Amino acid sequence: MAGSNPDKLMTKADKLTQLSLTRWSADWKSATVLYEQAGNAFRVSKKYDKAKISFEKASKGQEMLSSPWDAAKHMEAAASLAKELGNWTEVADFYKKASELYNECGRSQPASDALAKAARALEDAAPEDAVQLYIDACVILEEDGKEQMAFDLYRPATNVYIKLEKYADAATLLLRWGLAADSCKATNSQCKAYLSAIIVYLYAHDIKQAEKCYNDCSQIDAFLRSDQNRCASKLLSAYMEGDIEEIKRLAQSSTISNLDHMIIRIARKLPTGDVSGLKMNATKDEELLDEDDLT
Amino acid sequence: MSVIDILFRVDDICRKYEKYDIEKQRDLNATGDDAFAQLYAALESEIDKALLKFEAASAETNRAAAVAMNAEVRRTKARVKQEFPKLQKLAVKKVKGISKEEQETRKELVFVLADRIEAIPDGTSTAAKSNGGWETSASHKNIKFDSSDGNYSNDFFQESEESSQFRQEYEMRKMKQACLDVISEGLDTLKSLAQDMNEELDRQVPLMDEIDTKIIETNNVEKVI
Repeated sequence: MAGSNPDKLMTKADKLTQLSLTRWSADWKSATVLYEQAGNAFRVSKKYDKAKISFEKASKGQEMLSSPWDAAKHMEAAASLAKELGNWTEVADFYKKASELYNECGRSQPASDALAKAARALEDAAPEDAVQLYIDACVILEEDGKEQMAFDLYRPATNVYIKLEKYADAATLLLRWGLAADSCKATNSQCKAYLSAIIVYLYAHDIKQAEKCYNDCSQIDAFLRSDQNRCASKLLSAYMEGDIEEIKRLAQSSTISNLDHMIIRIARKLPTGDVSGLKMNATKDEELLDEDDLT
Repeated sequence: MSVIDILFRVDDICRKYEKYDIEKQRDLNATGDDAFAQLYAALESEIDKALLKFEAASAETNRAAAVAMNAEVRRTKARVKQEFPKLQKLAVKKVKGISKEEQETRKELVFVLADRIEAIPDGTSTAAKSNGGWETSASHKNIKFDSSDGNYSNDFFQESEESSQFRQEYEMRKMKQACLDVISEGLDTLKSLAQDMNEELDRQVPLMDEIDTKIIETNNVEKVI
């Protein structure tokens, strides 16, 4: 059936699916075909809202025909059209539905890809939702044992957190990235993730957290033997000394320049806040310890 | 007496002395409209969760997972600390229907809670600072020049032959060092490139295996057809 007028195709398909006295069961097979044709025709003629609706209905049809793969594909098409229209809630919903359908097929990679596409689309409009979608996508991959693929998702998620200035969350996410890297023996990525976490804490001027983070990570052998560990220890000792020149020099070093560009940018802006105050605090702590020892 | 009778009697006694049951009273209070009690109950549950997570983290053999869990514990601790001033303000406010003694006990509860928050262990055992065999050149080599007030005769600062030779050698060594620095930077970049490429190839291996199996399947199907 070479339907020329997509609206006619839509009405025909709708009629096929409406239940009435004369029709006791909906004919989803032919209806789905008509919906797909209508959707394509609408897309070509740039009528995005109608195209979106017809792809939605086509997806529903495929679901009824128990082929979740095609249903998911149509949902993704509908979602990309919703993106053109700038309808962000629908974008998120459609991509989530598509991801569930992919999970039904048992294919985790396309499921997480769908969520990642949604997150990318929402990065500017709704960054909070976007980062949540990125994390969900990572969870899907990790459950299926495909942590290596999750690296590409952790990176934009941390970037969004840093843009939102939520440094504690960014650092926690980086540590999760390190964990994922550890489970697939990607030691280089793991050490880079830990060094990035320490830098994020220093940028937020949370020196105590940075030290705690460094102590935690030092217990991991792979990090202990790495270049990043040296760089981190030099950075922390420079902070303790209050040596601004040293901090700036380390930020220019090659170890830091090999991290993600977002991290490099904030590293170049170190030190934030007043470093000389730390030096005096350090000496005061030592005196207190001595008193305790005497008693 | 049969078992059923015993059960009934126990239930009756419990109901009679319900007002002495601390746990139940606390729950009842928590579900009231009292903002203080609600916030207190919420913070307590957060603290308990954090403690549980810390136990799980210390039992965890996988180091990286322990690190991630410790980070979560610290984040919860920071969040609870933020909510704490609100709790303090609520404790001081006078609420209708609460006796004076309860008011006092509330202030004590707030103090106890503060201690409990501080006591949440966040795994900050300072690890043995083994530098893994790297020689860290200290950034504070305090080299002191002692200014001896010796005889600053005219010859003292005169350039002798030896010293000019030293100077020349120093200049040459400085140039060589600069070149070596450039080479070292280049090597660092190459090393990180190589490591990243390594990881990328590791990532591609299972994908290639999948492609392999899929092509073999398709071949078989084609053969049948």
